[in-house]
Amino acid sequence: MSFVHRLREMRRNRFGAFAPVLLALAVIWAYFGLAVPLYEHWTNPDSESVRFIFLSARNIYNLFMQSAVIATLAVGITIVLLLGDIDLSAAATAGVCAALLGVLVLAGVPGWVACLMVMFVGIVMGAAQGMLVAYVGIPSFVVTLAGLLGYQGLMQKILPTGNLNVGDPFVRSIARILIPDLWGLAIAGLAVVVMVVVVLRRQAQRREKNLETDSAFAVFPQVALFGVLIFAVVFTLNSYRSLPLMILLLVALTFLVGWVTTSTPFGRAIFAVGGNPESARRVGIDVKRIRVAAFGIVGLLAAIGGIFGASRFGSVSYTAFAGGSLLLESIGAAVIGGTSLFGGRGSVWNAILGALVIGSLGNGLDLSGASAADKLMFSGGILILAVAIDALSRAETGGTGR
Amino acid sequence: MSSEERGTEREPPSPHLWVRGVHKRFGGVHALNGVDFEVACGEVMALVGDNGAGKSTLMKVLAGAHLADAGEFWMDGKQVTINSPHDATDLGIQVVYQDLALCENLSVSANLSLGAEPVKSGWGFLPRFLRPIDELDMESKANSAIDSLEVRTLHSMRALVGTLSGGQRQAIAIARAVGAKSSVVMLDEPTAALGVAQTRQVLGVVQRLRETGHAVVYISHNMRDIFEISDRICVLRHGAHVGTWRTNETKPDEIVIAMTHGIDEKVN
Repeated sequence: MSFVHRLREMRRNRFGAFAPVLLALAVIWAYFGLAVPLYEHWTNPDSESVRFIFLSARNIYNLFMQSAVIATLAVGITIVLLLGDIDLSAAATAGVCAALLGVLVLAGVPGWVACLMVMFVGIVMGAAQGMLVAYVGIPSFVVTLAGLLGYQGLMQKILPTGNLNVGDPFVRSIARILIPDLWGLAIAGLAVVVMVVVVLRRQAQRREKNLETDSAFAVFPQVALFGVLIFAVVFTLNSYRSLPLMILLLVALTFLVGWVTTSTPFGRAIFAVGGNPESARRVGIDVKRIRVAAFGIVGLLAAIGGIFGASRFGSVSYTAFAGGSLLLESIGAAVIGGTSLFGGRGSVWNAILGALVIGSLGNGLDLSGASAADKLMFSGGILILAVAIDALSRAETGGTGR
Repeated sequence: MSSEERGTEREPPSPHLWVRGVHKRFGGVHALNGVDFEVACGEVMALVGDNGAGKSTLMKVLAGAHLADAGEFWMDGKQVTINSPHDATDLGIQVVYQDLALCENLSVSANLSLGAEPVKSGWGFLPRFLRPIDELDMESKANSAIDSLEVRTLHSMRALVGTLSGGQRQAIAIARAVGAKSSVVMLDEPTAALGVAQTRQVLGVVQRLRETGHAVVYISHNMRDIFEISDRICVLRHGAHVGTWRTNETKPDEIVIAMTHGIDEKVN
């Protein structure tokens, strides 16, 4: 069995879709976390002990917080990628929303009201682009490229100085509030228990209805891996500070979006439109409305990403959002996670992992003192690798036995 | 050519779907020129003709995808109108187009329920499109739909359609059409892209459709398949009805001549 063939086999099952991005993450962590410190220790005679900076709890905490904004945007971008569209304007939308948030709270609007307002603005900004794609028929690449430019300009209009401090306590609290250690562990335990119960109950129901069941060998290692990962994360975060509220919000948001995309008729319609728009149209799915809704969701998540960013930095700056690398990082995260650019295949959870890959790469290169140029070149390489995996593992679905 | 029957000289089991004098023009082209056609329940009616004979146009008119310029449509003795795909669906007329229109990235069961997924009860506070899909119910339905067509090579309703063979896909497309409470199923070249074993499988499914009382319209170029599966053969040529033969009273040569030359007027 050739490597490519094996890859295709692996990508067919749901768990297999996670494997490449988990592997990439493991390689990057092993490199920056183990190889680099050991190499520095052995080559430097003055070094007395190995310093595992990358894998320290403090750095992992920072890594998660750094990746949170990317991840929020990537979750949204995944939705339009599932349709076979793309959104280049998400980071600029986030920038406009963050800038607006800053201006609003400065004008005395209560923080939570301002947050709701910019979330609404984000939906409108996204849905407006969706309407141009769906009803006017302009390719999403062009619409959102125009959106990227226009929204960047809009952000500059809102922030003439290019920078604004956000001191509102409500906004700041999103990134500042920490879940107490015990609560964090309780939430992790609850998540694992719920997952086990859901899996067991589904198996029982399948047996009852005489449907094929999943083999226990396939299911329980997945549950076990999930449990180990979630506890490892919470323990690590606890050992530095605690589980930040923002990470919990991100996970809850991802869970919600993931549930909508995989378990509801709306989500099924998104996959159907991405897989075969003609088929979706013939069964009566309103393809245009699905498109508009998907772009609206990206806008909403971009706005939330903007709120997260403003909360974490305590300021809104042009370079942190619209003018920076956030756009490419968030698209890269979605694609590295294994969401196909060709539409119809992917998952928002993979986008979270993809964001961690991108975040780890940036963080690790920063720690090893790499230049901005190195970072860009590394990110480009990883992105190409991810898309190559996508293209290779996709090639076979054209049809066997035809 | 004694076996030939035209008009209503020799009624088969009373027609379920019965059309008379269908005309359809595309600009200067007279795609259908007063075509008569009928199909009964529990019958496979092959619809044959050379390229451009009007088979596809007739199928699309019956499916509501094209609006006929003139013609009468009757179902079970009642006159009906087919002005849109919606009308056709309401009348129980379903088409399996050659491209199948399946989502390869979705499972068999998801494809079969696409656009009408069963949702769990108890979530009434959400709009229907945001309620959780009852996956188990969906799979049970898919199981029974596939079982009723006796497709034995398809084991998992959770398999992605992209991983299945051409024959299996055709069977799924047919199962989807049948699932939508249809009484007339039109198949457009269902075996055109298939190998021998796959063709056998699809012909088996068509056989099951006949046994379950569906009126099947089978469009094909393949004489061997047509003579194996059909009860009657309707020949179109240049947008006109040449004639309809009982399959067991004719031969491929006769059908091919009718397709290419029409009927020698002297015989009539």
